[in-house]
Amino acid sequence: MGNKIGKIKASILGAALMGTTATSAMADGMEFETVADLLHLVMSSDRTVYTRMVVNRLANEEGVITASEHFVDDKALVLPAQMFRFGAEMVAENTDEFSYSLLSLWPINKQNAPTTPMEEEGLQYINDNPGENFYGVEELGGDEYFTAVYADVAVAPACYTCHNEHKDSPRTDFEGGDVMGGVVIRIPVN
Amino acid sequence: MKTKFLWMAWGIGTFALAGVGLARIYVTGDRTDLLPGQTAGVHHQIELACETCHTSKPFAGQKKIRKDINKTCVNCHKDELKASDDSHPIKKFKPPRMAAYWDEIDARFCTSCHSEHRPEITSAGLVTQPGDFCVACHSEGDQDVRVNRESHEGLGFETCATAGCHNFHDNRALYEDFLVKHSDQPWLQEDPTHSIEAAAREKPRPEIADIEAYLAEVSAPVSARDQGVEAHWAGSAHALADVNCASCHAPKAETEEEVTAQWIEHPEEKVCASCHKDEAKTFALGRHGMRRHPEVSNPRPAKRMLKRLGWSDPSDGAIAFLEAYLVDPTPAPLMSTAEARVPLLPDAHGEELTCSTCHDPHEQDLQFAAVGACLSCHADEHSQNFTQSPHFALWQRELAGDLPPGSGVTCATCHMPKTERRGVITTNHNQNDTLRPNEKMIRPTCLECHSLEFAIDALADPELVNRNFTGQPNRHIESLDWALKRVTQPTEGANQ
Repeated sequence: MGNKIGKIKASILGAALMGTTATSAMADGMEFETVADLLHLVMSSDRTVYTRMVVNRLANEEGVITASEHFVDDKALVLPAQMFRFGAEMVAENTDEFSYSLLSLWPINKQNAPTTPMEEEGLQYINDNPGENFYGVEELGGDEYFTAVYADVAVAPACYTCHNEHKDSPRTDFEGGDVMGGVVIRIPVN
Repeated sequence: MKTKFLWMAWGIGTFALAGVGLARIYVTGDRTDLLPGQTAGVHHQIELACETCHTSKPFAGQKKIRKDINKTCVNCHKDELKASDDSHPIKKFKPPRMAAYWDEIDARFCTSCHSEHRPEITSAGLVTQPGDFCVACHSEGDQDVRVNRESHEGLGFETCATAGCHNFHDNRALYEDFLVKHSDQPWLQEDPTHSIEAAAREKPRPEIADIEAYLAEVSAPVSARDQGVEAHWAGSAHALADVNCASCHAPKAETEEEVTAQWIEHPEEKVCASCHKDEAKTFALGRHGMRRHPEVSNPRPAKRMLKRLGWSDPSDGAIAFLEAYLVDPTPAPLMSTAEARVPLLPDAHGEELTCSTCHDPHEQDLQFAAVGACLSCHADEHSQNFTQSPHFALWQRELAGDLPPGSGVTCATCHMPKTERRGVITTNHNQNDTLRPNEKMIRPTCLECHSLEFAIDALADPELVNRNFTGQPNRHIESLDWALKRVTQPTEGANQ
């Protein structure tokens, strides 16, 4: 699926997400796939660090604070999936140049189920082909988008124990290293 | 030839008259005739300040106009939406993966559900969608709530937001885990007191010795001295906080001579707001004070409007003429009870609403501010039944010293809830903040004394609300029962 789809001016994306390292990503003509891969690298790194070094350490290993879906009411840590979603929503508030979301074929929250045929296809692909990403182009709302889907893997016990025990989880047999869902990144082609 | 000349004269005259008429409206005249339809509810207070909501440039595209209106909605409703932990924020609908839903109800724009100037289709909460609007997104595939929740099988979508179970924006007291957490509680707690109200009512007041000392140090011009006023002030929290005569009547004065020279007989509200910032801010968010909101557009100065028409340097005479003969009805600086659209007592008509309408600046009679002030204006059934209600009876017993502070319930307890942060208690002066939908009242007020189940049932019973909560609810909302069933009997719905 690693075909070259097209080119993108990535200056805004670079400035938005890559900070000082944006210089190399700001050159005209970067491939959609490369831009999406770089965006995902930042997202997945931050997500893994928060999951391992904050939630798993403090909530599971040291037990000094809990992590809760209702973090305000429970005065608890934000769940890793919520942390990711809040970032995606903040990006959505600030730009239309790209969007991303964390989806699953087995979502606890039904709004995180696939809503487009390509999301469904991509999530199935990364589940059936461990270690591979999915890339494609789809039309949504009259505009064309480059869509990339990356596997979201259970990196810590905090991930799969919560999903296995949650009353709204449609799947309860996750283990460490399993693909639990996927990160979907979209970039408008035009 | 004569006929042709007459036609030309008629045409020129018509265009000239139309031009003058339109220019008059544009410059600073009454724009009532331009309203495309009456605004709903509270927006009537600012409906002639068109630029408050309509900020787009002429001939802007529909999407741009709707985006701009989003911004103006948020100008006033930002705090409310943030506090509500909005279940359907715009940011959730912006990503293109939601495109299929844009065709159903485009929740990226406030006006998709709240379209102003359309009274014929407007329902409570300024909603201009049909009552079963949830069907648009929650009736198919993975999102079909009738499949996801066994308890919801066969329910009509017109009941989602009207039965006391769900709101589009604010579900802080209605979400499933909150329902479960607050289940199995008695309808009335063993010690029913409102903790923050109690703390506020226990605030210290000056002792007799302090009062005498304050009175001895009164500094005011002889012409302004009044023993009664001074006695009230010396017994108030203002005196205790070292807020003296000059603090309000001559705030910039430093010497007695300056106090006399700069003395203001009737200080404006900004003097109050200089200390009571949060109260002033929230007052401008409610119906009583919304014309003070800083984002409400100002009246149109004739000079500025003439410049926009191309007259770059209008003479003072022309400006004076326009200001004398064209009355700009953009919102008056104060809301008057004469313009209210809720039932009011005859004696209340013509009153303007300022801080001192409810708060005598010297007396600081919080009992009047919390009950008396409200009942001196409001004539609706709920208000007029308050003095026969059990809440009022508790208030009277607390005042008599028979019950501890925080036991009594006033109008302000429910409609102007207090919050405490780092030891500072603030009263929300947006008295509409927890009214629509009324489930917003549950967390800051009802749960202090009642169970969640009782509160939901009571607020869903309009007759009980009209009786000002005298009696028990005649309705039972099953949401808590259903939520509890999913937890205690997980085979029925959970872990599908």
